[in-house]
Amino acid sequence: MIDAMDKAAGLSPDDALFNARRFRPEFVQGAELCRLSVLTPANGLGLETALRVALAHRIAALNADQVLIAEYGAKLAELQPTEQLLALAHGATDLDEPLATIARHVDLITLTPIEAEARHIALLAQAGLNNPQIVALSEVIAFVNFQTRVATGLRLMRSA
Amino acid sequence: MISSVRLKPLSWHPYIAPVELSDATPEQLDAMKVTPSSKKVSEYVRTLVHDPESYVARTVLFNAIMYVEGGLGRPDRELGALGASIVNGCKFCAVVHARRHAELTNSDGVVTALYLDRPEELGPRDAAIYSFARRLSAAPSLAREEDIASLRSVGMDDIEIIDLIHAISIFGWANRLMHVLGYAEGGK
Repeated sequence: MIDAMDKAAGLSPDDALFNARRFRPEFVQGAELCRLSVLTPANGLGLETALRVALAHRIAALNADQVLIAEYGAKLAELQPTEQLLALAHGATDLDEPLATIARHVDLITLTPIEAEARHIALLAQAGLNNPQIVALSEVIAFVNFQTRVATGLRLMRSA
Repeated sequence: MISSVRLKPLSWHPYIAPVELSDATPEQLDAMKVTPSSKKVSEYVRTLVHDPESYVARTVLFNAIMYVEGGLGRPDRELGALGASIVNGCKFCAVVHARRHAELTNSDGVVTALYLDRPEELGPRDAAIYSFARRLSAAPSLAREEDIASLRSVGMDDIEIIDLIHAISIFGWANRLMHVLGYAEGGK
């Protein structure tokens, strides 16, 4: 069965790499369970799926990952997002709070995590996020950055 | 001849209040039965368990990527983790995985070369792994087909390269938690 990572990497069952990936069922299943846990958790802790998918689209764009941009764009459209979430997904910075603060944080942590400081977490709290939401947001950011790197690596293997 | 770099372990503290065990929900208590590298229930674990679903899924995947049998050797996975942690600026992770690399190889050579920023002193295999780890960790990624070719030229097969991609990528995740949600403090 083709999963989200195969799709992101452009793998089909007749690719040697599709089967090489299955040498590690722990990674295949693990990455998929992670994806579900950050995008469509049973308990969203107040961060709705449309927001999570909009953020995933923004993070894919920051990583210039065309396949994931298309994937998250299509998924977001199905969720009938508000204007604000659509703008968030497409990189806008002039957003209502707390989305403006969230957007700045997402951009910083995706592009230059080395620059993260205590005050950036304080800003999220000031914008109204509670501790579970700060953790859940961090997991969404970090997961998509993981996903784009695995997909990028697999794509390079396929073409090299 | 320069002396070798020996790193002392750091401790990590969160910027937000971790979950107190006495306040933890049954789901959070259950989630904490699995921990990164099967270590104790640390402040890090109690911080991330604010979101128990992603905590469990990520920790299970993390442990598989770093410890699953066969395929890429553990020192090479640690080197991938270290390269990512240096690019992403997670001092705590960098020290943990530099120390594990030194323990597993019985040598401070690679860690010394990296902490003194002399990657040219690495052997060809370590150099190929470290360079790929750095380039894949950039945002957007700077990795190219030549990087895969370099890994193949030092004898790595597809299974090993897939293992390495995961070791580097899972630190693109872990570093963005550990360095973002807290800070490292030196020597106890």
